[in-house]
Amino acid sequence: MTTDVGRSEAPGGAVGWVETRLHLGPFLNALLHVPIPRNAKTFYLGGITLFLFGIQVVTGTLLALYYSPTPDAAYESVLSITSDVSFGWLIRSVHHWAANLMILFLALHVLRIFVQAAYKYPRELTWLVGGGLLLITIGFGFTGYLLPWDQRAYWATVVGTEIAGGVPVIGPALLLLLRGGAEVSEATLGRFFGIHVLVLPLLLAGLLGLHLLFVHQQGLANPKYPEPRPGRPAPARPPERLKPFFPDYILDEVIAWYAVLAALVILASLFPAGLEPKADPLVTPEHIKPEWYFLAVYQLLKVVPETVGVVAPVALVLVIVVLPLFDRGEEVLPRRRPIAIACAVLLLVALAVLTFYGAQV
Amino acid sequence: MSEGLPPVLEEGGDRTVAGVRDGLGAASGAGGTGGLDRRRFIRWLLGFSIVSSLAMIVTPIIGFLIPSRTATAGVGGRVLAGTLESLPVGSGAVVAVGAKPAVVVNTSGGVKAYSAICTHLGCIVAWDAALTMIVCPCHDGRFSPATGAVVSGPPPAPLPPLTAVVEGSDIYIVTG
Repeated sequence: MTTDVGRSEAPGGAVGWVETRLHLGPFLNALLHVPIPRNAKTFYLGGITLFLFGIQVVTGTLLALYYSPTPDAAYESVLSITSDVSFGWLIRSVHHWAANLMILFLALHVLRIFVQAAYKYPRELTWLVGGGLLLITIGFGFTGYLLPWDQRAYWATVVGTEIAGGVPVIGPALLLLLRGGAEVSEATLGRFFGIHVLVLPLLLAGLLGLHLLFVHQQGLANPKYPEPRPGRPAPARPPERLKPFFPDYILDEVIAWYAVLAALVILASLFPAGLEPKADPLVTPEHIKPEWYFLAVYQLLKVVPETVGVVAPVALVLVIVVLPLFDRGEEVLPRRRPIAIACAVLLLVALAVLTFYGAQV
Repeated sequence: MSEGLPPVLEEGGDRTVAGVRDGLGAASGAGGTGGLDRRRFIRWLLGFSIVSSLAMIVTPIIGFLIPSRTATAGVGGRVLAGTLESLPVGSGAVVAVGAKPAVVVNTSGGVKAYSAICTHLGCIVAWDAALTMIVCPCHDGRFSPATGAVVSGPPPAPLPPLTAVVEGSDIYIVTG
């Protein structure tokens, strides 16, 4: 048996074979062996979102092997995936549920960052890129929803693109660009499919790489103490207690991923993704409703003029994305940021109320 | 049980679990080879977890990738391939039977039908009136119209025969 020292200097077998050629050791060490604050509480939300994206890549690639993106064949191909192909119902339902959970965990991740003030110096760019990731993820939900080409998919897209058409000035052009014509048609399905499986994955992968690079460069934020800023006296604080990212944090993260995978399989088994009758452009079904994450906007449009209902959510997202530019205080503890926390609570209550009423028939 | 477990959980080097094997029962699985290194045991456990996780994930993926039976099954039944008027003795034609092609030949020994997929590389054979033979255009493989046997060329096997039925003047190919 080799000694520990001998093993670490020259690993044998396949690992050693690769290492003597590529010298990846120092790179991997720099990637994995970073200390993180012992009191950092991420609740693994960002990592879970990343894991769910990985699941979407795998299940989405599999579904694309059987899916046909034309109005004549789309519905039948989804029906065949669900009923004919082995494990087709499982792959499709896991894709459906992972999409919903991805948006849920992304929202919780944003909330965690906000409450812990981790968007403040020096992490403004990480937050900005994160805003892009949020928009892309919502884009995934919007474009993916049409693909089964059933009644719900079709009419949710008619309403959704109509809402986009309500944006002042650029609305009509945006509507035409989204639909690829005046109506939701074969052109729309082709566009949404291309955007869903090519454009958005490439964009997301790129921004995700940046996001992770930033997180790695800056390390995790300490939720108790603000980051020392250049040119200002460092606030008094006890020496930071650290713990290793690998294997301590990674191990916890992987356990969380296993739990999410189990939850996905249970959800997919108990509540598999359904399919309504095939899309009929001449018959709007009753009680048409978008996915839960669009319900608040949908309900807002019932109670305010269309322009307000369209502009308000867009403005809100923009304000959130550029938040670090005007919220420049150093405080990180929620109890010392009463205005910021009050705004967030107000926003959450408004979203909850709108979503609740939007969900009522 | 409670007496045997704590030493395994202690911090330390490569202590063997031989001392706690009584407490752990079959967990060590080292047989009589002089004790199982704790580090190796943990590694084995980790490897087992990774392999079983991969198996769990890969099984539905492989199952998904294998085409379903309905997608690969042929269509059975009777297909009208032509009439004795359109296919006089000494002539032949390629017709579609479901999704697969068949070659029908009216020989002096009666109407014969074979799969039109060449047994060499899968090209579709044709009836050559000048040679009075079934010929593959890809590598000039030639088949006997009377039996489907290879006359010349690279095909390794005769064309699989199909059932041709003549009713009145109609020629049917029966499959399935």
